[in-house]
Amino acid sequence: MPHDGANLSFLITSLHSAFTLIFGFDDSVYFIVWTSLKVSACATVLAAVLGVPLGILIALNTFRGKSIVLVMLNTLMALPTVVVGLLFYALLSRRGPLGDLGLLYTPLGISVGLFVLAIPTVVNLTLAAVQSADPRLVLTCKLLGATPVQQLWKLVLESRFAVTAAVVVAFGRVISEVGIAMMLGGNIRGFTRTMTTAIALETSKGEFELGLALGIFLLSVALAINAVLFLLQRSRA
Amino acid sequence: MTTAYSLTNIEYSYGGPPAIEIGALEVAQGEIVALVGPNGSGKTTLLHVLAFLEIPQIGEIRFFGEEFRKGNLLTLRRKVGLLLQNPYLFHETVLANVAWGLRLRGVSGQKAQNMASQALELVGLSGFGDRYARSLSGGESQRVALARALVLDPAVLLLDEPSNHMDRESAERTEALVEKLNKEQGKTVIMATHAVDSAQSLAHRVIHLRQGRVFRAAPDNLFRGVLKEQGAIFSTGKIEVRLEAPAVEGDFICIDPSSIDILLKGPQLEVMNVFRGTVVGLSAENGRIRVEVDAGERFRVTISSDWDPASQLSLGSEVFLVPKPDGISLC
Repeated sequence: MPHDGANLSFLITSLHSAFTLIFGFDDSVYFIVWTSLKVSACATVLAAVLGVPLGILIALNTFRGKSIVLVMLNTLMALPTVVVGLLFYALLSRRGPLGDLGLLYTPLGISVGLFVLAIPTVVNLTLAAVQSADPRLVLTCKLLGATPVQQLWKLVLESRFAVTAAVVVAFGRVISEVGIAMMLGGNIRGFTRTMTTAIALETSKGEFELGLALGIFLLSVALAINAVLFLLQRSRA
Repeated sequence: MTTAYSLTNIEYSYGGPPAIEIGALEVAQGEIVALVGPNGSGKTTLLHVLAFLEIPQIGEIRFFGEEFRKGNLLTLRRKVGLLLQNPYLFHETVLANVAWGLRLRGVSGQKAQNMASQALELVGLSGFGDRYARSLSGGESQRVALARALVLDPAVLLLDEPSNHMDRESAERTEALVEKLNKEQGKTVIMATHAVDSAQSLAHRVIHLRQGRVFRAAPDNLFRGVLKEQGAIFSTGKIEVRLEAPAVEGDFICIDPSSIDILLKGPQLEVMNVFRGTVVGLSAENGRIRVEVDAGERFRVTISSDWDPASQLSLGSEVFLVPKPDGISLC
């Protein structure tokens, strides 16, 4: 059994190597980071474009089965990523109904899966933001003669802090997941390898330096997300 | 004379019993109408119906002769300006708030800003344009909301308790502005208010609402006040009425004119309420005698003409009023 000194030295060496990769601007590291950011941003933007209006519409309208929709959305917020990965693997694989699209093991394929993961978060948090908005807001829009589309846009603007927070939280969820990226991307080097799949692979190979370097990037993204949320909350207050 | 509003058999409910139930109501163009009534009497609901924000389940509304249908809702809504009792200002500058309605109507940026500045000047807030709207006081916010309504040049201006969140100066300024707009531009104004005195001085006509229905005249002996001593006493500031059972809420007290006994001497037995006053009016009405008594508040009492001591009543007589407990109600 190695003693504590050896453990610490191993960690320090790994960290040193990780920082060397980061500040040496290693191409392979930055390509992985870029792939992660690209697929996550693509999924989040699409989820925001569809999810924000959908959240507002569900919040503002009363319809039969609304409570079922709300329960479903809450359940989907806790959707296990491997379940989404499995489902979309079945859909996108050659034998699957969408196999002809050729999306399996592509960055776009990962984005599709991540979009499905992100949209319940965006819809649910937008819905919560609108439901907690001042009821006089919609009334004021109406009495000033706004059309339904103008009302919707004003609601987004007035709830911009909460809506931005919804999108940021969704981005945080998709960039840090591993199941979908692994199953739909296949972890192909230089093509679909993301930060999380690379960390999983490199750690299983015993290559901690690259794993740690990517872990530091992932932590930086989490830090940036939390900083944005903090600033949003402060500016709202 | 052109009719601004014509309401026929209107009924609107929020799911329960009708919040308003109006057989017929007409408002002429250029008229100032005050809606007076206690809380929950339907004033705000009626204003929302008149602003085409709420669609009555039953009945017909004509606005300047045009029948209101769902199809012309937006067109009619854009012809009416409503000042909410507690208005909502957007999270932006005062000028942007006032200009927003204009932008919705396609008025270009600079023109909208100039018009918004003029509207702010009209309500006495010139120089406030660059301020963050949410940082203003209640009275200032109310005036910004008024400017936001006025800048759209509505055919009818609806005001919901305009002086509620205003300081005295703002309230007086608003009243003066409403009067000016009415006189100079012939603007039709309908305002809901608790302040019966100011309503009567400003309005051409006062409409009394109670439980969603229109009364031609105010119910007799309707006094505004507050509850005291854990709801056991209702004080109008001039008289105090002891209640049979403690009440939780009520802004008005109503004493049925036919349930008040008039005594020429103080009551021999202990009674819950007795008010000493002077007869200030006497008239005959459908076989009954209507007596007006100044007992701090001005009471109206109806008594049977065959009531013996009636002949002893004359203007200036001192009397004692004893309302029966079941004739007293809070609202």
